[in-house]
Amino acid sequence: MMEISIDLNGAGRKVEVGLDESLLRLLRRLGCLSVRYGSSTGETGAAAVLVDGDLVSAEVMLAVQADGHRVETLESLDPGTAELHPIQQAFVETGALQGGYSAGAMVLATKALLERRPDPSDEEIRDALSGILDRETGYVKVLEAVRRAAALLHGEKPPPLAPLVLEPLTTSPTTRRGDLDGEESVSPAAPRLVPSVDVPPMAVVGKPERKVDALRMVKGHEAFADDVELRGLLHAKILRSPYAHARIRSIDDSAARALPGVHAVLHYGNTARVKYASGGQSWPNPKPYDQVSFDDKVRHVGDRVAAVAAESPEIAEEACRLLKVTYDVLPPVLSAKEAIAPGAPVVHDEPDTEGIYDASRNLSHHIEGQTVPDDELAEAFARADRIFEETFSVQAVQHCPIEPHVAVGWLDGDERLVIRTSNQVPFHTRRMLSPLLALPVKSIRVIKPRIGGGFGSKQEMVIEDVVGHLVLATGRPVRLELTREEEFVSTRRRHSQTLTFRTGVSSDGKLVAQDLSVLADTGAYGTHGFTVQSLTGQRGLSQYNCPAKRFRCDVAYTNRPVAGAFRGYGAPQALFALESHLDDIARQLGIDPVELRRRNWVRSGDPLDIVPRLGERGAVEEVRPEDIPRIGSCGLAECVAQGLVAIGWERRGDPSWSRPPGRPSIRRGIGMGLAMQGSGIPLVDMGAASIKMNDDGSFNLLAGAADIGTGADTALAQIAAEVLGVTPADIVVYSGDTDVTPFDVGAYASSTTYVSGMAVKKAAEAARERIVARAARLLGVEDACEIHLRDHHAVGADGRSISLEKIALNALHTEDQEQIIGTASHVSPDSPAPFAAQFAEVEVDVETGQVTVEKVVTAVDCGVAVNPLGASGQVEGAVAQALGYALTEELVLDDHGRPLNARFGPYWILRSDDAPPQEVILVETMEPSGPFGAKSVGEVAIDSVAPAVRNAVLDATGVAIDELPLTPERVWRALQTSSAGDADV
Amino acid sequence: MLVPASLDELLASVAADTRADLIAGGTDLMVEVNFGRRSPESVISVALVPELKSWYRSGDEVILNAALTYSEMMRPPLCELLPALAQAARTVGSPQIRNAGTIGGNLATASPAGDTLPVLAALEATVVLESAEGGRAVPVGEFIVSVKRTSLAPGEIIRSVRVPARRAAQEFLKVGTRNAMVIAVCSVALVADAERREVHLGLGSVGPVPLRAPRAEELATSLFDWDEGVPRASEKELARLAELASEAARPIDDHRSTARYRRHAVGVCARRAFERARLPDATGRRSVTP
Ligand SMILES: Cc1cc2nc3c(=O)[nH]c(=O)nc-3n(C[C@H](O)[C@H](O)[C@H](O)COP(=O)(O)OP(=O)(O)OC[C@H]3O[C@@H](n4cnc5c(N)ncnc54)[C@H](O)[C@@H]3O)c2cc1C
Ligand code: FES
Repeated sequence: MMEISIDLNGAGRKVEVGLDESLLRLLRRLGCLSVRYGSSTGETGAAAVLVDGDLVSAEVMLAVQADGHRVETLESLDPGTAELHPIQQAFVETGALQGGYSAGAMVLATKALLERRPDPSDEEIRDALSGILDRETGYVKVLEAVRRAAALLHGEKPPPLAPLVLEPLTTSPTTRRGDLDGEESVSPAAPRLVPSVDVPPMAVVGKPERKVDALRMVKGHEAFADDVELRGLLHAKILRSPYAHARIRSIDDSAARALPGVHAVLHYGNTARVKYASGGQSWPNPKPYDQVSFDDKVRHVGDRVAAVAAESPEIAEEACRLLKVTYDVLPPVLSAKEAIAPGAPVVHDEPDTEGIYDASRNLSHHIEGQTVPDDELAEAFARADRIFEETFSVQAVQHCPIEPHVAVGWLDGDERLVIRTSNQVPFHTRRMLSPLLALPVKSIRVIKPRIGGGFGSKQEMVIEDVVGHLVLATGRPVRLELTREEEFVSTRRRHSQTLTFRTGVSSDGKLVAQDLSVLADTGAYGTHGFTVQSLTGQRGLSQYNCPAKRFRCDVAYTNRPVAGAFRGYGAPQALFALESHLDDIARQLGIDPVELRRRNWVRSGDPLDIVPRLGERGAVEEVRPEDIPRIGSCGLAECVAQGLVAIGWERRGDPSWSRPPGRPSIRRGIGMGLAMQGSGIPLVDMGAASIKMNDDGSFNLLAGAADIGTGADTALAQIAAEVLGVTPADIVVYSGDTDVTPFDVGAYASSTTYVSGMAVKKAAEAARERIVARAARLLGVEDACEIHLRDHHAVGADGRSISLEKIALNALHTEDQEQIIGTASHVSPDSPAPFAAQFAEVEVDVETGQVTVEKVVTAVDCGVAVNPLGASGQVEGAVAQALGYALTEELVLDDHGRPLNARFGPYWILRSDDAPPQEVILVETMEPSGPFGAKSVGEVAIDSVAPAVRNAVLDATGVAIDELPLTPERVWRALQTSSAGDADV
Repeated sequence: MLVPASLDELLASVAADTRADLIAGGTDLMVEVNFGRRSPESVISVALVPELKSWYRSGDEVILNAALTYSEMMRPPLCELLPALAQAARTVGSPQIRNAGTIGGNLATASPAGDTLPVLAALEATVVLESAEGGRAVPVGEFIVSVKRTSLAPGEIIRSVRVPARRAAQEFLKVGTRNAMVIAVCSVALVADAERREVHLGLGSVGPVPLRAPRAEELATSLFDWDEGVPRASEKELARLAELASEAARPIDDHRSTARYRRHAVGVCARRAFERARLPDATGRRSVTP
C-alpha cells in the first residue's frame, strides 16, 4: 500500500492505494460510479477519465500514477442540483444514450475536445470519441450530441431533434398528420419519417421524447448491476478450462480452501448435478438439458471448472490458481462438419442429458419443414426454367455489450436470495435458478437494473447460478463480473452456419421452388439451438413468395464456445445467404436486382406458409389453412422506394462514378438487401403491467419488461401517457424486478414494444376507466364515455374539466376510497412483421481488398414508431453491429480451440472514426394489433446490412463473395481468383 | 512504487533493483498487470523525471526523450519535422492511449506491431541507453533483437531516441488505417533523405522486428527525382518496387491474415508511400500530395 494525493473533481484527497491497483478500481472505490469496467486492456474507454485535462483510460493506469495529478470524472460536472451541464443536456436531448454505460466517458471526451476546439469538425469529433466504444448507437446520435453540446456552449439554442417528414413515393401524396413537427430538421441524426394517413393524431406517441432514465445515465448515478455497495461483499472468480474437451478426473481444492480470505470453492465434487438449458425461454425450456452448474467434463476452452468466493478478486484468482485439477484430455471437434462425420469424438456422451437429437453423431437438433411434399418440390424444380445453387458460410461473432455480464447476489432479511444482474430475462432466470439452487421460486428475487447492452447475450443464465450457489454457500453477498476475455469465450455468440440455397426460377423471374439446407454450429451446448435455426428457416423462406419451399437443418455440437440468442436470431445468417443469392440470380438472369425482388416479395395478405412448419413449439403435423399466418401491415414497397432515392441507386452502372478518375485502385458500388423479422413469439410471449395513480395525478408504471438500454421503458411510458392524458415525465417507470413488477418474458424476439407495450396500454386503459368513472361522478356527467383525458385533466363533452390530481386526492382520501390501478397482460396470436430495405454504398480498393462503407441507408417499416428518436437509434445501432458482421468481426480459435482474438482490437468492432454516415427512414404503417399501431424495430435492421455490403462489393468489382466477414484479405483473394472482366487489377 | 524526480535518482533506483518494472504511460505494462502476467512488486515511474520528457533539436538531429507521448508527436512543430512519426502516432490506439503511451514504451515493448518502429527504422534512428554506469547509443535495428526482445541490459533504461532532422520526404501507411473498419495487418514508413539522396523503407508487422527493404530502397533511390523532389517511375517500375518490398518481408500467418497477403499488402503500401513522397522545399513547405 502507498498513500497518494490526488485532486479528484476539485477536492484534494489523500488515499491509500494498492501498488497494483488500477485507477479505475480506485475511482470506483471512491464512489465515482460513472467510471466503468469494459475491458482490462483500455480499448472500450468505458473507464476514460481526464487526468490534467487529458483523456486517459483508467483501467490501464495505475492509481499511483495519478499521484499529484488532477483527476476529473463525470461527477465533476454535477453541481448537486437538477441542472444539467450543456454537454449532459446535449446527450439527453439527442437520444445519444441507449444503455448509457459509457456516458461518463463520452461526456468527458466531449468536454476535453470542446475545451481545445470549441468548433470541432466532424472528423475531430469522430477522432475525439474514437477510444470509447459504443455497441448501441452506431455513433450517429453521439456525434450529434457533441455538435449540439458545442452549440449550447456557444449560447445557441438549437431546435429539438425531430423527424424530417418525407412525402410517400408509392402512394399518392397525402395530407400529413397535423401533429408532426420538425420538418426543418436536416441533421443526419434526425430520422426521416414517411407518415401514414391511417395513423390518427396523438399527443405523446410518435414524439421524440427524451429517455425516462436519461438522468441516471448522464449524471453517473447508481444505474447498473455493479453500482451497489454491500457490507461484507465477497468477490467471485471462475476457474475455466484450458482445454477444448476433457474429462475432469479430480479436483484437489485443499490448498485453495486453505488460502486466507477464501470462503467457498465449488465444483462438480460438491454441488448437485441438476440438468438445465441456459437459454432464457418460456416454460418448458426447449431441450436438450445438457448443462449443469459444475460438470465433470469440460467441452470448450473457457468452460466452467470451479468457482471461488473470496474477500478480494485477487484472492479469488489466487485460489483458482491453487486448485489442482487433473484432466483426461480428449480430442476436440472444432467444426460442425467434423462433428457430424463418422467417428468424431462425442461432445455429449453423458447418459443423463434429455432431448439430444442424436448424441452419438453430435447432432443437438435436426429440423425439417416444408410447404409441399418432396415429390411436389421435385416437380416444381423440374418446371423451373433455371435452377441456381449456392453455398454460403457465416462466422461466429460476439455480442460485445460494453457492460460485461455482472451479477451481485445476497440474502435479504428474510433470507431470500436476491440477485441483481445484467440480464434481459429476469423472470425466466428466477424460474430457472430454482431447481439449480434447490430453492422455491418464491425464495428468489431477480432484479434487472439498467443494462449496458445485451443483444441476446443476456437472454441466458450465464452467471446467476454461480452467484446463487456462492451466496448460499457463504451466506455473504457475492459479486461476479466477467472480464472481457471471459465475455468472449464463456458467454454466447452467434451460430456459425453453412447454408446452401437451391432456387428454381421461371423465365419471367418468379421463384418457383426453394430448398434451403443448413449446417449450424451450436458449440458446446445446445441452448437456443432449435429456435435460432428454426428462425433461420423461417426468415430464409418467408419474404419472397414461392409455391414450394423446403428447409433442412442439422445443428451440431462442437468444442467451441457456446452459441445462443443474438439480435436477429438466425435471420442475419439466412438473409446473408438469401439476399446474396438473389443478387447473383438477378445478375445471371440480367434482371435488375430490385426488380427481381419486386416480382417476388410478399405483400399484405400473402401467406407465411413455412412459419407453422417451423414453429417455436416444434413442427405442426397437420397444417390447417387457418394455421398459416398472413402478412398484415406492410410498408416494404415504400421502404424500397425511399431507400433507392436516399442511396442514389441510379449511380449504379455509371462508369464515371464507379471508377473515380485519379484513383485507379478504387471501384465503387451500391448494394441492397431486404429484411423482415417478427414482433414477439405469437401465443408464447406474454407481458404484463400495472399502473397505479398517485396523489398528484402521476402514475407508477410497473412493467415486467426488460429495458436493456433499448429505450423500452421510455416507449412504455409514452404509451401509458398517451392513454392517461399526461406526459411521460408523469409516469414513473419501474421494470424487470420479479418481486415488484408483474411477469414478462423479457427482452427478446422484438417483443417489448409490441407485446409488453400492449399490456401497458391495456393496464392504462383499465386505470383510465376508473379515473373516468370518478371524473364523471365529480363533474356530474351521466355518460363516462364522453370524458376524455388530456393535459392532466379529465374533460367532459361540454368542456368542463377536473384535474387528475383532484381525482387522485378524491380517490385516495375523500370519497369511496380506492387505489386507482390497472393491471393487464397481453399475449398476441400474431407476430406482425417489421420490414426493412437496407442499402450500402462502398468503395473497394482492388489492390488491397479493403472495403470502405461510405453510407448505409435503412428504410424500415416498424409500424408506428412510438419514439422516432429511439426507433432510429435502434436501427443505427443494429446497422453498426451488422457492419462488424459484414467486415471485421469473427471469433477465431486455434487448432486446440483456444481463442486467438478474445480482446477488442484484434476483435474489431465499429468505432466512431470508422462509423459510416447513416440515413434512417421510418416508413409508418398502422398495425392494428399493436399499441397505437406499433410493430417492432429492435432486430430487423441487423439482418440485411451484410448482404447489402456484399452486393455492393459485387456491383463494384463483379466478384461474388459467399463468406463473411469481408476482410481485405478475403476480398483480395476473391479478386485474384475471379476471372470476371471487371475485376482485372 | 518509486517516483524518482531526476534522471540520476532514476538510474540509482534502477541499479538498486534491476528486476523492477519501469512504467511510463503504463498502456503496455498495465495490460500485463491486469492479465495477471506481471505483478508490479516494484515499479519505478518515469513520470517525474524531467530529463525524459519532451524533445529538442541538436544540430541536424532531433532528440526524442523516452517519455514523449504520441499526442506530443502529433503537435507542431514536431509533426512538421517528423511527419512520418506524426502519421504513425495518429494511427495509434485512441486519444486516451495517445495521451499516455510513449515512444520509450513502444521501443521497450518491441512488439512487431509497434507503430513507431518502422518509422524509426526508416529514419535510421539511434536509441540512447543509460545506466548508472554510463550511456551507450545503439542503432534501432540492433536495439530490437527479436519479437518483444531488446538489447536493454539490466540496470539500463531508454533515455532518448536520436533521429536525423534533414530535409526529407516522409510517409507512413498502413493497410487498414482508421475510418475503415479494418484491423491493420502491416505498415510501411518511407523516408526520402534529400541530403544523402537515399530512400529508406521501414516495414512493420511483417517480421519479428521492424525490417528494412534494401533492394527496394535501392530501386526507389534511383527512381526518385531528387532535383524536383518527386518520384518518377513507370507503372512497371512501381510494380517492381512493390515486388522488392514484398520480398524483403518475413511475415507469418496469424488469425488476422496470412503471410501471403501481408507480403502482398506491404508491397502495395511501399509503392503507394513512394508515389506520395514529395520533398519539402527549402522553407519546409511540401507540395500537396494527391
Ligand atoms: C488500447 C490500446 C491500444 C494500443 N494501440 C497501439 C497501436 O495502435 N500501436 C502501437 O504501437 N501500440 C499500441 N498500444 C501499445 C502501447 O500503447 C504502446 O506500445 C505505448 O507506446 C507504450 O508506452 P507506455 O509509455 O504506455 O509504456 P508502459 O506501459 O509504461 O511501458 C511498456 C514497457 O516499456 C518499459 N519502459 C517504459 N519506458 C521505458 C524506458 N524509458 N526505458 C526502458 N524501458 C521502459 C516498461 O518497463 C514496460 O516494460 C496500445 C495499447 C493499448 C492499451
Ligand atoms: S452505452 Fe454505448 S455501448 Fe452501452
